[in-house]
Amino acid sequence: MRDADLKALTGLCGKCGTCRTVCTLYPERKAEIAVARGKIALIDAAMSGEDGDAEGVQDALTDCLLCGRCERACPNQVLFEEIMMKGRADLAEEVGIPAWKRVLFGKVMPSPAAMGIARKAAAAGQRLLPGKIPTASGLHYRFPEGLGGEGRTVPKLPAKGFIESLGKGEAATGEVMLFVGCVFDHVFPEVGRAAYETVKASGKSVAVFRDAACCGLPAMVSGDRRSATECAEANVRRLRDVEPGGIVFPCGSCLLMFKRNVFSLIPKGAPMYDAAVFVANRAVDYASFILTSGVLDGLPEPPEGERVGEIGYHDPCHLSGTLGKGPEAREVLSRAVGPAFAEMAGADLCCGYGGTFNVRDYPTSARIGENKVTTAARGGTKVISTACSGCVLQMRDMVARTDPSLRVVHIAELVHQALFRKE
Amino acid sequence: MVVIADDSRRRRHGGRPDAWYNFTMHADALTALGNLFGDRLRTSLETRICYSFDATGKQFLPDAVVYPVNAEEVRRTVLLANLHRFPVVPRGAGTGFSGGSLPVHGGVVLSTERMDRIVSIDTENLYAIVEPGVVTETLKLEARKLGLFYPPDPASLKFSTLGGNIAECAGGMCAVKYGVTRDYVLGLEAVLGTGELLRTGVATAKGVVGYDLTRMLVGSEGTLGIVTRATLRLLPHPETAVTLLAFFAGNRDASDAVNAVVAARVTPSAMEIMDRTAIDCVQAVAPVPMPGGTGCALLLEVDGTSDSTAREAGRVEEACRAHGALEVRRASDERGRDELWKLRRSISPALRRVAPVKLNEDIVVPRSRLADMFDFLSGLSDRSKVRIVNFGHAGDGNIHVNIMISGTDADETRRAEEAVGEVFRKTVEMGGTISGEHGVGISKAPFLEMEVGPLGVAVMKRLKECFDPNGILNPGKIFLDEAAVRG
Repeated sequence: MRDADLKALTGLCGKCGTCRTVCTLYPERKAEIAVARGKIALIDAAMSGEDGDAEGVQDALTDCLLCGRCERACPNQVLFEEIMMKGRADLAEEVGIPAWKRVLFGKVMPSPAAMGIARKAAAAGQRLLPGKIPTASGLHYRFPEGLGGEGRTVPKLPAKGFIESLGKGEAATGEVMLFVGCVFDHVFPEVGRAAYETVKASGKSVAVFRDAACCGLPAMVSGDRRSATECAEANVRRLRDVEPGGIVFPCGSCLLMFKRNVFSLIPKGAPMYDAAVFVANRAVDYASFILTSGVLDGLPEPPEGERVGEIGYHDPCHLSGTLGKGPEAREVLSRAVGPAFAEMAGADLCCGYGGTFNVRDYPTSARIGENKVTTAARGGTKVISTACSGCVLQMRDMVARTDPSLRVVHIAELVHQALFRKE
Repeated sequence: MVVIADDSRRRRHGGRPDAWYNFTMHADALTALGNLFGDRLRTSLETRICYSFDATGKQFLPDAVVYPVNAEEVRRTVLLANLHRFPVVPRGAGTGFSGGSLPVHGGVVLSTERMDRIVSIDTENLYAIVEPGVVTETLKLEARKLGLFYPPDPASLKFSTLGGNIAECAGGMCAVKYGVTRDYVLGLEAVLGTGELLRTGVATAKGVVGYDLTRMLVGSEGTLGIVTRATLRLLPHPETAVTLLAFFAGNRDASDAVNAVVAARVTPSAMEIMDRTAIDCVQAVAPVPMPGGTGCALLLEVDGTSDSTAREAGRVEEACRAHGALEVRRASDERGRDELWKLRRSISPALRRVAPVKLNEDIVVPRSRLADMFDFLSGLSDRSKVRIVNFGHAGDGNIHVNIMISGTDADETRRAEEAVGEVFRKTVEMGGTISGEHGVGISKAPFLEMEVGPLGVAVMKRLKECFDPNGILNPGKIFLDEAAVRG
């Protein structure tokens, strides 16, 4: 691993230890290898040849949620996420990427058709799962023991994805583009639907981005730079071609990809750089769009009632932290549900998902996640709303494991309820 | 016997396993540690690298890392070390500036990260019993909830541990009024280099039975014993605080104001000085509005009851104005105080932007010599053509002298190192000390004798012999050891 850029980035780390105080994983591991400065030392050692065991370093680097807290707290403004992505990518070139990831990132995720087929196959397989848990936000299955950690549950996959459910020619062109994202299309199509209808309520014509590839974040965090770039370029090219006035993202992680990470894959000077800038400038989070497009204007005062303070908001690390879009979502909630919204206990605690981290170390991911939802519940929250697909997946699993009466929803679902309330 | 340790690697890091201590980790030693710690013994290169550094930026690779959870495991580690002759280097959060936790001769890094419980807080007798791995701020916050106050406030308090604070006798900004870590350690439980578990001190306000072994251990940098539990004194928490920020044309005026504040019989809980070099540094990154012609700034804080702080803040302001303050700002609400603190708090982060490597020294001179020292430093910076940024705790004459270099220019590095020597010589000449709060470690070892003299060093070595006859604990620290200094 030799990378002058990477060296310039890691060189800023003063090993002061601030990252230890904010790391989501540190309280679980209580070891220096969990935190940013330890991982930076490892990347330096790998670059200098001091540590020639690329697999060992890769393994250590994978043990991170990429929640970005260290980066935001760092007094030297070390770009830790960028360092990790580059480090993982460089090491992946040496040790390779597991076969299942290669197929998923390289073949399935860049192709809308392949993703639909994969979901159908998985949905069919699910019916064989024995344990069912009805939760407030839908049916969950118990995952077979031995195939992914103790007590994991998975949401019942729908027969049809959101985009599939659209009529032919429906939402084909429009001034605003909706980037639904894989999860809200294939796993929770009701979120995709709610986002679509509420964005449409702005009065603008809305197109749903149908031939979207995966945003590329899962591949990127796994060090599969080639697949990530493939996804990013495909998306940027297709989006640039249709010249939307705005691109709305219900998922914070997808948004991060288009706002920031894309420039690591398509840097200044790359042929597609200008197109990537065009897309980034138009990319907007769901809540900001709802606020600026006046969707909630003229909404009757939400009903008072017995539900005061029952709805909370969970801050997705990338959306609230890295992109700073926490206040917008809260504003949307207070206008859509009124006094039912209250600040949630532990709102900014990471949900513990971390994408592939959840697959790599489910027990730890689940401990962090259970702490997240039980902290919220102890504080009186009954409905946890958020705006990121990873967080919804994780927290729905966590409430299925701990308290199925808790609901986990996307804020679009609450906005939808408020707009189309039955009188 | 199979040698496990990869000596070539360690040598590349500057350690010297073949001389003086002649320690090498053997297979049986690691097996024995494995029996004791199970998966809390780590020997992977990845984990060892993660325990090879501290805030000095130097690196020495340990042979293994252990994570004990109680004093018994610490004791048995040291017993094994005596049997197999390997070094044991205690480490809290690895945030020191003098290399105290660096395993310069390899061996085992004993991390206290998992001994992190506050055992109890006695609200009647005002003390806390803590394990060494508790983060300083955690104790401060827990005490605060009970209306109590643990004063020591090293800049690293959010991440440094109490064990490390005790080992280095950490100071901080409030030292001018409240003293340093040593003033809050009532008693200790520590494992000596022999593997014996020693209990020292008291849990009472007073205690004079026998030699003061507690103070002997405080600041001993892990070379005499490994603290496994500490009894720490607490105070009632002050009700309120007022912050003042005063701007002066030059160091002389500001230093005079500092002395005038003391003469006015006010003891501020913070009295921070930033000279032109530090102010320029902050202004280049995140400018704070200030009067034209500012060449020095003082940040002062008084705490106590609302009556006393109002009165004392008035006297402080008067003293500053009497000595040519260009402007004095004052705040008593939290937001306003935060705003005033911004200038002081921005210095360290801004330093990184000046140059990648800082030689961070923490000299102390008698308060009345502050201005002389600033003048000397400014001349030295010109003479040796290296940028020096100065700020510090004016109330106790403690100046952080930061010599900023690229780290890639050999000639510049040499000039910087010579400048450090000059700073130390001048400090001792003025009747000061070469380290107020960072400790000697490896970075000040070459200058130890200059300050304490040959007899001082000899007596210290005799004491070391008594606590740790086999030289197990943190070898290569405090006393001059060429291999360690080289890094």
